[in-house]
Amino acid sequence: MKNKLYLILIFIFLIIIMINISVFAHKVSIFAYIEGDKIYTESYFSDGKKCVDSKIEVFDNQGNKLLEGLTNEEGAFSFETPPGDGYLKIVLTASMGHRAEYSISADELRGAAGFIKEEPEEPVSVISPETSLVNLKEIQSIIEDTLDEKLKPIMREIKKSQEDKISPTEIIGGIGYIIGIFGIVAYFLSRKR
Amino acid sequence: MHISEGILSAPVLVTGAALTATAVGYSLKKMEHKEVPKVAILSSVFFVASLIHVPVGPSSVHLILNGIIGVLLGWSAFPAILVALALQGVLFQFGGITTLGVNTFNMALPAIICFYLFNRGVRSKNNFIALILAFVCGFLAVLLSGIMVAAALVFTRESFIQVAKLVLIAHLPVMILEGVLTVFCIGFLRKVRPEILNV
Repeated sequence: MKNKLYLILIFIFLIIIMINISVFAHKVSIFAYIEGDKIYTESYFSDGKKCVDSKIEVFDNQGNKLLEGLTNEEGAFSFETPPGDGYLKIVLTASMGHRAEYSISADELRGAAGFIKEEPEEPVSVISPETSLVNLKEIQSIIEDTLDEKLKPIMREIKKSQEDKISPTEIIGGIGYIIGIFGIVAYFLSRKR
Repeated sequence: MHISEGILSAPVLVTGAALTATAVGYSLKKMEHKEVPKVAILSSVFFVASLIHVPVGPSSVHLILNGIIGVLLGWSAFPAILVALALQGVLFQFGGITTLGVNTFNMALPAIICFYLFNRGVRSKNNFIALILAFVCGFLAVLLSGIMVAAALVFTRESFIQVAKLVLIAHLPVMILEGVLTVFCIGFLRKVRPEILNV
């Protein structure tokens, strides 16, 4: 009786520990975003620790390597947006066999490169045409800057939600799966007899 | 210790998968009916242990506990670790599905080696010797896993010595921690549940 109580206490204790642990290890993630004509990437382990000096490679949609580099002390790496409008695949290789990928779609790239040429001319011609074209460019860059600024917290939120993906539900669910799987094993073993 | 997808070459992946499949098949054949609940519990332990993170150096490491699992389960460590790793891969994206074979082999083989080395020792009548051996067991299992990870990565671009050094330095605190944890577990089991160890 006393032994059983012991085991139950240990089990409860373990569950409390698991629920309180908010940082989890052992997965690397990479997150990239476009700002102006540059692409910024951030790399980190799933407990939030930055990947220092890790290799980053950028591939185009045909799988050709466009460029490569190392992350700095903050786990960040940035590069000029390469020409061409296919999608980009950014691959992070951290130490000890960790690897992660992040893709930037062609749409995102085009959107960031500026869409002045595709802009319809009609609304512009209402105002004086020569100055408005210059203004349009200026307005565009102002809008982009503001948007980048405004979107920063959202980007950070997205990054964070990628970071702490593991919930207690998944842990307990996983344990349930394990017990279920071995239940099946036990069933087959008992049939053999 | 989980090697991610897309790092290892096909021959390494296939070899790992084949070795793991053979070992799992063998151990399932050997497994006793009444052993199954124990295997399930230790599989859950392994599943959860990888979430406990030890902050060291530039990388990120976690508990493995393959030493104690090996000593308690023997050959059944293979299915236990395979199931736990598969679920970690699916639920948490640790490691991956293609690397499942290699990762299982890297962690389960040291468990079996520890079983053969320390099986008698931790069940010894002498409490002190048993606990010392428990420490060595926990320590050695992680060390061997580290060497095997480095060996698996040697076929990629990185050089063996460089990776081995990195893996082993990063896991040194884990080795010590696991040694201590194994001592506590074995000590606890000897006192409270000696029938598990058949002392």
